[in-house]
Amino acid sequence: MYSRRAGAVVWNLSFSHPLNDWEVGDFASLLTLLESVVVTESVRDRRVWASNSSGRFYVKAYLEEANPGGIVAFPTQLEPLSALAAEYQSGSRLARKNKGLFLCVSVHVLGEEYAAIRRTRGDGNCFFRSFMFSYLEHILDSQDKAEVDRITAHVEQCKKTLQSLGYADFTFEDFFALFLEQLESVLQGSGNSISHDELVTRSRDQSTTDYVVMFFRFVTSGEIRRRSEFFEPFIMGLTNSTVEQFCKSAVEPMGEESDHVHIIALSDALGVPIRVLYLDRSSCDTGGVSVNHHDFIPASGDPHNAAGGSSDTINPIITLLYRPGHYDILYPK
Amino acid sequence: MVDFARVQKELSECNRDVTISGIRIVPQSDNLLHLSGTIPGPIGTPYEGGTFKIDIILPDGYPFEPPKMQFITKVWHPNISSQNGAICLDILKDQWSPALTLKTALLSLQALLSAPEPDDPQDAVVAQQVLLSPVLTPMHPLDFHLSFFQYSLVSICVWAPQYLRDYPTFAGTARYWTETFAKTNSIGNEEKVQKLLEMGFPEDLVRTTLKEVGDDETMALEKLCPG
Repeated sequence: MYSRRAGAVVWNLSFSHPLNDWEVGDFASLLTLLESVVVTESVRDRRVWASNSSGRFYVKAYLEEANPGGIVAFPTQLEPLSALAAEYQSGSRLARKNKGLFLCVSVHVLGEEYAAIRRTRGDGNCFFRSFMFSYLEHILDSQDKAEVDRITAHVEQCKKTLQSLGYADFTFEDFFALFLEQLESVLQGSGNSISHDELVTRSRDQSTTDYVVMFFRFVTSGEIRRRSEFFEPFIMGLTNSTVEQFCKSAVEPMGEESDHVHIIALSDALGVPIRVLYLDRSSCDTGGVSVNHHDFIPASGDPHNAAGGSSDTINPIITLLYRPGHYDILYPK
Repeated sequence: MVDFARVQKELSECNRDVTISGIRIVPQSDNLLHLSGTIPGPIGTPYEGGTFKIDIILPDGYPFEPPKMQFITKVWHPNISSQNGAICLDILKDQWSPALTLKTALLSLQALLSAPEPDDPQDAVVAQQVLLSPVLTPMHPLDFHLSFFQYSLVSICVWAPQYLRDYPTFAGTARYWTETFAKTNSIGNEEKVQKLLEMGFPEDLVRTTLKEVGDDETMALEKLCPG
C-alpha cells in the first residue's frame, strides 16, 4: 500500500474504476487524511476496525463508531435554503467540487424563489427517491383525490404496457402494489392513513423505499421501451447504446443514476410535471446570475393532461435541485 | 429478507414450460434459499447434448441483490472457471435488476455458453492455453491439473483467449469436457461416481475412468487401483 521514496511516504492506491467527478473531492480529502498518518514501521500491524462476530467487516458498523452523534437519515428534515448557501461558503464536499463563488451567487438567487431544501440519499436512486417523497408529500398536503384517481389510472396503464412488453406479472406486481399502498396511505380517511412525520419515517425505511424505487424503474423502463422510436435518439446521444441495452443496464438495475431520459419517461408515463433546477458549471454559460431550470411537462395527447396546452399554465408538482450526480427536493416560497 | 412468495412464483413459472425451455430449477433445501438449476447446452456449440447443473444461493436481499450462481458441472469456457465453476457475467454482479428472474439469469448463462465474452475472461487457463502452447491437441481433463500448475508459474497479462486465437482447439477441449462431465449418462452414473469418490479417488479421474470402461464400476475400480 505504501512505500518510502527519499524518506517520504508514498501511498500507492489502486482504483477499481476511474474516478467520477463527484469522487474527486472525496479522494483529495482521503489523501490529506493519509498525509497526517505517521507509519511506525517497528510496530506490528494490527486491525483497527474490528470485524463483527461473524468475522465480516461492515462499513455501517464503522460509520456508527465514527459518528457517535448518529448518521444523517435521508430524506433529511426540511432545511432552510440558507443551509445550502452556508454549505458553499464553508466549502463542503459538493461545494468544493463545484468550486464556486459563482455558485455562491446562484444559491442566493435560488433563495429568492425557494424557501427550503430536503436532501435525499445519494445512492444513485436519488431521483426516484426524491420523486417518491415529493409526490406523496404533495398528495398528503393537498388531499387531491382527483389526482390520486388520475395517477392510479396511469399506473394501471403502465402495468398493461409491461405485460404487452412481455414482462411476467410476478416480476413487477409486488412493486406496483406497494406504491399504490403508499399512495392510499397518504389520503386521509382511508383507515390506515399516515401523518407527515410518519411519511418521513417511512421514506427512511430501506425496504419500503427500495420497492417504490423499483416500481419507478419499471414504469420508466416500460415507457422507454413502449416509445422506443421517440427515445432512441436521446439514448444514442447519451450512451451510444440501443434502447434495449439502455433499459437493461441504466434503468432497471438499482443504483443506476437518472438522466433527462429517465425524467422524461417517468414524467410522461405517470403524467406528473417535474421541474429540475440545475446548479452546475453549465449555469456559468448564461453569463448572468440565474439558475437554469427545465420543466418536464408530460407529453401532450394525454387525455388526462390535455387541458394545459401551453407549458406555463402547468404547475410542476415536483421541484428538484440537480447538482452533478445528485438530486434533492426544493420547496418554493 | 428474501421474498419467498416471489421465489415460489418464479419456480412454478419456470418449471411450467420446462419442456420448451429445457430449464429447470429445484430447491436443494426446504427453505428455498439454496436451489439448483439445469440448462441444456446450446445446439450448434461444443456444449450441445450436455446438461449443465448450476448451484444457486439466494442472498438475503433477493430480488434486490443478485442470486449467487456457480456451475457444478465442469465446463470449459473462457468466462467460467474450470476449477470451481465461478461465473463472470455482468447481470450476476452490478447489472442485476429485480426485473430479472432466476430463469432469465439461467437463460443468460445459456446465451453465455453460445457466445463467450473473451474480453472479460474468468478462466485464465482457458484464456492462456494457446499463448503458452501454440500447438495443442484437445486437452484431456486428466492433464489439466498438471497443466494448470505449469501455467500458473507464468504470469501473463495479455488475455489471448484460446477460443479466439485457436477456435478448433478450444472447441475440441470444450466438447471433450461436455462429453465427460455433462452428458446424461455421466449424470446417470451419480451413484457409482459417489461410491468411488468415497474411496478417495479424485472426481475428474473417477468420471473419466468410468467413461473409458463403459460405466463398469468393477473395471473402473481395477483401473483406478494399479497393481
